[in-house]
Amino acid sequence: MFKKKKHHPLNEAQQIDLAKKDHRYFGPLYETYFEQIFRFIFKRLGGNEEAAGDLVQQCFMKAMANIHKYEDRGLPFSAWLYRIAQNEVNMFFRSQKKNYSVEISDRQLYAILEEGNENTSFQQEDLDQLIEIINNLEETQADLIELRFFQQLSFKEIADIYQISEANAKMKIYRLLEKINKNWKRES
Amino acid sequence: MRTFQRKTNEKSPEPTKEQMVRYKDFASLSHQYERLAKRPKKPLYRDPKLFLLLLIIGLMFLLIFLES
Repeated sequence: MFKKKKHHPLNEAQQIDLAKKDHRYFGPLYETYFEQIFRFIFKRLGGNEEAAGDLVQQCFMKAMANIHKYEDRGLPFSAWLYRIAQNEVNMFFRSQKKNYSVEISDRQLYAILEEGNENTSFQQEDLDQLIEIINNLEETQADLIELRFFQQLSFKEIADIYQISEANAKMKIYRLLEKINKNWKRES
Repeated sequence: MRTFQRKTNEKSPEPTKEQMVRYKDFASLSHQYERLAKRPKKPLYRDPKLFLLLLIIGLMFLLIFLES
């Protein structure tokens, strides 16, 4: 007699529309993306838990405040959040009075060297040299290297964050690798 | 500014589940947002009681000024 009403879970676009109307509906989006964004920021900060906790809250606060500006242009919602997180982290780095050091494992550095070199036997000094070259890159260039090799994002994910095509992201990174290899060979 | 340096131990900087849970708090975020973004429902100057009070104070000052 009494039929139980079926509750259909809202899809992401509907959740975004609701969040645009009232910030309290941002909750499900927060639940979905919190871990992903926390992990991204945590890794970018080299494992600084406290700073990552603060930045992730700031990032979601900005997302909540600006969600009315968000337009679905065929890119995933996460790319928009990553972009906010990327800006927050860069602002954090700029605000540091002293240089903020991010630790990188040798394995991650080998990945860069192996990408552009046929020779696969590298020495410890090669890695030191490589770190120096990366530290001398412009901020945006170092960001690209970090996203691809240290955060291990795909070209598609990087392209979505920068709102460029995947081919363009690939081209930028390979050109950068060429530049790094050229400098590396010159110095070694 | 950020600088990269070689890591001494090979542990990957992945956060643990406990670390993430510690910072995941939508209620506090929402509360903070409300505090920052929401204006009080009625601006003070539009509050009739406060308006009346201000008017009375103003009139009293005017009367004192005229008396003197």
